[in-house]
Amino acid sequence: MKSIYNLILGALLLFGASACENFLDVNENPNNPQDAPISGLMTNATYETALNVQRIGSITSNYVQYLASPNPASSSDVMDPLNYSGTWFNLYNVMTDLTDLISKAEESDAGHYLGAGQVLMALNLGMTVDIFGDVPYSEGFDFSAVTPTYDDDEQLYGEILSLLDRGIQNLSGPTAISIGDDDFIFQGDVDSWLKFANMLKGRFMLHTKDTGSYNETELLSALDNGFSGNEDDAAVAFFDQRFNPWAQVAINNENLLLGGWISTQFVEALDGTSYPTVDPRLPLMIGTTDDGEFIGVPNGAGRGDAPEQGARSTLIPGQFYTSELSPLLIATYAEQKFIEAEAALMSDPNRAYAAYLEGIEAHMDMLEVAESEKEAYLSDPSVSVGAGSLTLDAILKEKWVALFLHPETWNDARRFDYGYKDMTLPANLNSNLNNQFIRRLAYPDNEVSRNGENVPDVTLLDRIWWDQ
Amino acid sequence: MKKNFTYLLLLLFCFMLQGSYLLAQQRTVSGKVTSTEDGEALPGVSIVIEGSSTGTVSDLEGNYSLVVPGPDAVLLFSFIGFATQSEQVGNRQTLNIALSPEAGDLDEFIVTAFGISQEKKSLGYSAQSIDSEAITKMKQPNLVNALQGQVAGVQVTNSGGAPGQSARIIIRGINSLDPGADNQPLFVVDGVPVDNSTIESSGTPRGLSNRMADVNPNDIESMSVLKGAAATALYGVRAANGAVIITTKKGKEGQIRVNYSGSVGLETLNRLPKLQDEYGQGFSGEYQPSSFWPSWGAPIAEVQQTVPDHMYQDNWNRAFNTGVQVDNSVSISGGNEVATFYGSFGNLMQEGIIPFSTWDRTTAKLSGSVKASEKFDFSGSINFSNTGGNRVPHDRFMERMMYWSETTDVRDYINEDGTMRTYGNTNPIYDARFATYEDDVNRIIGNINMNYNPTDWLSFSYRLGNDFYSDVRTEITPGPKGIDGEVALSSTGLLEETRINSRDLTSNFYITLKKQFNADWNTSLRLGNDIFERRYDRVTARGENFVIPEFYNLNNTTQIFAGQGKSLRRLIGYYGDLMVDYKNYLFLNITGRNDISSTLPKDNNSFFYPSVNLGYVISENLSLPSWLTFGKLRASWAQVGKDTNPHILGATYASPSIFPLNGQVGFTRNSVFGDPNLRPEQTTSVEFGIQTAFWDNRANFDVTYYKSNAKDQIIPVPISDATGFSSYITNAGEIENSGFEFILGGTPVQTQDFSWNINANLSINNNEIKSIREGIDEIVVGSQFGYVGSTVTMKLIEGEAYGNIFGSSYQRLGADPDNLFLDRSLPVIIGANGFPVRNGTQLILGNAVPKWIGGIRNDFTYKGFELSFLVDFRTGVDQYNQYNNFLSAFGKNEFTEAREDFRVFEGVLADGSPNTQEVWLGQGEGPDGVDYGAGYWRNHYRTTSENFVSDASFIKLRNLTLAYNLSPNILGNTPFRSARVSVAANNIILYTPWDGFDPESFSAGAGGNAVGFTGLGFPGVQSVFFNLNLGL
Repeated sequence: MKSIYNLILGALLLFGASACENFLDVNENPNNPQDAPISGLMTNATYETALNVQRIGSITSNYVQYLASPNPASSSDVMDPLNYSGTWFNLYNVMTDLTDLISKAEESDAGHYLGAGQVLMALNLGMTVDIFGDVPYSEGFDFSAVTPTYDDDEQLYGEILSLLDRGIQNLSGPTAISIGDDDFIFQGDVDSWLKFANMLKGRFMLHTKDTGSYNETELLSALDNGFSGNEDDAAVAFFDQRFNPWAQVAINNENLLLGGWISTQFVEALDGTSYPTVDPRLPLMIGTTDDGEFIGVPNGAGRGDAPEQGARSTLIPGQFYTSELSPLLIATYAEQKFIEAEAALMSDPNRAYAAYLEGIEAHMDMLEVAESEKEAYLSDPSVSVGAGSLTLDAILKEKWVALFLHPETWNDARRFDYGYKDMTLPANLNSNLNNQFIRRLAYPDNEVSRNGENVPDVTLLDRIWWDQ
Repeated sequence: MKKNFTYLLLLLFCFMLQGSYLLAQQRTVSGKVTSTEDGEALPGVSIVIEGSSTGTVSDLEGNYSLVVPGPDAVLLFSFIGFATQSEQVGNRQTLNIALSPEAGDLDEFIVTAFGISQEKKSLGYSAQSIDSEAITKMKQPNLVNALQGQVAGVQVTNSGGAPGQSARIIIRGINSLDPGADNQPLFVVDGVPVDNSTIESSGTPRGLSNRMADVNPNDIESMSVLKGAAATALYGVRAANGAVIITTKKGKEGQIRVNYSGSVGLETLNRLPKLQDEYGQGFSGEYQPSSFWPSWGAPIAEVQQTVPDHMYQDNWNRAFNTGVQVDNSVSISGGNEVATFYGSFGNLMQEGIIPFSTWDRTTAKLSGSVKASEKFDFSGSINFSNTGGNRVPHDRFMERMMYWSETTDVRDYINEDGTMRTYGNTNPIYDARFATYEDDVNRIIGNINMNYNPTDWLSFSYRLGNDFYSDVRTEITPGPKGIDGEVALSSTGLLEETRINSRDLTSNFYITLKKQFNADWNTSLRLGNDIFERRYDRVTARGENFVIPEFYNLNNTTQIFAGQGKSLRRLIGYYGDLMVDYKNYLFLNITGRNDISSTLPKDNNSFFYPSVNLGYVISENLSLPSWLTFGKLRASWAQVGKDTNPHILGATYASPSIFPLNGQVGFTRNSVFGDPNLRPEQTTSVEFGIQTAFWDNRANFDVTYYKSNAKDQIIPVPISDATGFSSYITNAGEIENSGFEFILGGTPVQTQDFSWNINANLSINNNEIKSIREGIDEIVVGSQFGYVGSTVTMKLIEGEAYGNIFGSSYQRLGADPDNLFLDRSLPVIIGANGFPVRNGTQLILGNAVPKWIGGIRNDFTYKGFELSFLVDFRTGVDQYNQYNNFLSAFGKNEFTEAREDFRVFEGVLADGSPNTQEVWLGQGEGPDGVDYGAGYWRNHYRTTSENFVSDASFIKLRNLTLAYNLSPNILGNTPFRSARVSVAANNIILYTPWDGFDPESFSAGAGGNAVGFTGLGFPGVQSVFFNLNLGL
């Protein structure tokens, strides 16, 4: 009797012990692969980089008064500290993927992927530093630290420019794998990547104009290798499956999910109120009221008792910036011309003036302004001031118009101390700002709650290193 | 650890074998069991030798015969509805006994782990069960709802009133810090764990079913709730939140019985918010016939003078239908000494109160058992169900009701050509009719059991169970029909086909050894092996933009997206369960289990956990005063390990669902990283209880204290995005639940014709988050939208309870800036504009987990009549009322009638002096010349969460039943053995401070933990049923 039970028990235990190993070895993820192809990382990185430009643009457009909230004392208008945990995540998510892309490109001698990855890393890191200042980077991306420390923003600028230089070098060299349609920005055109890298070099160097590390010659020579026309613009065209996010804002607004309302500042700068000219671009950029008028909302004041629709100018579906398939602009020839104009203003006013006019024209061509209207505007004495009378104010005003909804404008605005004509503090301004404009974004709540010990203690008036 | 355990088992095993030859003095006792009531024979009475599992059942004539170990053996006679009696055998060969109808539910048997029927007296932990009558009386299509209010410590919440909608069950509080954890108990049907998940729709909420709704309540014999870890140590990791053990009806020896039960139910909205009927369509007090704004216009009476058909339509009452439920069930059962069978068919058809909401269930069940020999028997059952219906988008329906003009008939929704009739806004009923979402679930739950008893002290049992279902879902939103001027529901239309296949397999083998050492000591040991596998696969294909309008096939769309999610989880467990019974008054139970899970890292995937519990029946040991019939003390200590979800370890890459775009598929590093060194979670719980009965069971009282600590919780810890990940799944944090449960019952009156039974339960649960992880301040469980900064968030914070709702509030004078809680007793600060000043920093406004829950059930019988009612309540619970947030934004609450009034807001100015400034509540320029913009309700009231987080307590008449059983005299002339007619009413709100729809409804569905948000959930319903039961 006894032996039977011992046998059964033994068999039971044996069964358990031997079968367990294989039977239980089924935990590998069947939905998400352990590794990703370099081209897949490129696709997502180019797509998400364009979206990051838009995401930051949607934050800064209220600060530079392109847009205004329909609600009074809206936090985005009155420069309250807001929680941009989502934007922070998106920036770091792309930089994480780019880290993987760069290391895979190095492993497989894919020099062009390596270069493009470095350029995109420079752009995303640059956008992050420009809005937040000190941020984690050197201890980031590989989970070596659960609470990564923050790097100094000035040092990070060194890294940005170095990434661009390395990117240019790698894009100019050989590659074991060529970039193709997986690249949503240039579809694998390496020449365009090189121009883009040089243009970005110009953009980030311009930020340092008021610092000791500024080098005008290097900036202008980088621009010489930059874009040569609108056709070179770095942009991602949108898709039937996924509409351009500004188009989505306009569509949502039509469906009463309010957004994309235009600031009075913007309307008045273009409708002949603040400046003598009526800008022909206005009707191509924003919508009118039901009565065909352009009426903005004063930032911070809200729409008063105006109804949700038809009484104010908003983004409307179907225009240049707001069509379903519209490209999201990452960097444009027009912007490059205004960078050139500003950089050359002191040393070479003629070059500056030519670049200024070229910048306006490039933007008007982009919007397909009628030739006659374009000429009329360009020949207006308030615009064609002549090389001798060109001012930084004029350059930055035109750059402000040409970079509609683009986050780069906030960098300009801070360097320019928000000195745009007639630009005033929003109504109901955040009282902690002591009647000054916002100078940076607050570190997001997620970061404070997850990495609080490393997050620098700053106020919204503490400036980024280049904005001193 | 595994080795040690094996060693321990072997030791125990040897210990058992040693004594096994001491069996002596065996002999047979036989007799007849009758009822004291009428002296008739009682068939099917369970006769067990006390302290053992050896026993038999009386036959049709009430006769039994049983081999007993000796003269000291005590036989326990038990039968449902009768008081259990015990009788020492002595020298008798014949032992006849008469059982009396039961006065309480004290000595009943309860089905515990692996479907083993255990005498409740012997349990060292608290367990409660309800029988088939208590289940079917409730007239709840969803089995989970039948537990509502009936069991202490068990909170069952209807997620809404949709046909087939899920219900959530939580036992003794929430045990996990993981916002995505399923905190619900394991459901076990006839010893086989089954799936009770709720898979919500991917888009707008549609109130889908929890999978237990697939089971026909008419097939259920009893449900036991095993609450503590002690009760569930033997089910392993999956029962860490408790277990609900369901036993289905079986055939009984005797003649063939046929039972029919049928009912027709009608349901209506049980509660509406208080709404205004004075102001109509428009804005700023002006009437506009095509305005988006449903209720900010001019007074309706005023406009009516010029527009005669402009009138209040009472849409909120008219939009809802009277729901109908038709339930038919027939069963046939019977058997002889060798074999028994039970078969049933059931069909339920339900139409809900939101037009076009339906749910049907068709079930078929067959079970049988065969006693092949004295030593070998086997049984099996198969249960098929087909369920599903059209799940209307209730959130969207209610949202569109918000926008719909109160002066336009919502029922007049369709034009002759089939397009929507509207003044501009989307008609909610048109949407509910055409934007369909149908699910069709086919499910088979089956099991096979085999028992081999080579000797009377040894048995081998094997059980194989499966739970397989396929869930076919089709969502359609039509695009434009191509008719000029139509307002389409979607500019493109969409078709989404979802196919879910899930298969659970359970294998369970165990050996039972029994040993009686002498008259005082009885032991039994069970050793077993348990294997579980769940395979799950979901495929989704979505097509957008129909080429041919109204032809719904994926091939007819221009955009197609597809996705897939698979998972496989396996578990192997070894367990041992030793029961020791000393003199029938001291019961010791020790269990140990070792689980090996596929979901954990290989080095840590095997884990052992023990439990011990002790029951001491004082009344069997000491002589107590005669009024104290029964007294027992219980104590238990138990641990339960817990694994995690499959496929979460390490780092992976994911392709965002937006791809492919332009033929390219992008990849991104998954932002979740699963700790490669993950360890199993561990919950330790202790429980103490006292069970007493007085005056011959006229009254009984049971109190339990419990405390459980879940440590080393496997939770997704949020980490800095800069690390390359956002969430790190690791062991972190501890949560504690403790509380008391009180059960009071009895039979205050019991006479020949009249009886009154009462059963009440009350429980309190305290929850505390003991720790999260160093450097991590909070975990967000969920949030819900509110207009302009009134969005609320449920967050977990160390030192606080689960379920705190954070939101914006009014500034208070003298508020402590460090206080996380809003102190509503402090005066509100009024701003220079005369309105309360808002505080955007989110404070704790309330807690969504009820502190106290309870129920009281009364059953009266008088001759053939029965009257019973169940009242349940919850209190100490707050909820975010999203309905009121929307209603106030659109000027629909009754209180927004105050829109042409002046008001001095109660409060103080910043300097502490009382506010005296009068302000106007309307829109635009007031009579005082001040421009009030969009007015108080839109600019102030709706922006502050404080106004919408309020007390969601209730007292409900859960069920009221009046029944009449036809007397045998009348039935004598008919073919029927029994007949019963009854009327029942359900879910009637007796009291609630809540302003709105039924406060029980919430939007997360049974699977979600963010319970404190009403969303725009399917409103609760009350119902009345007419029932007929016939027995042949």
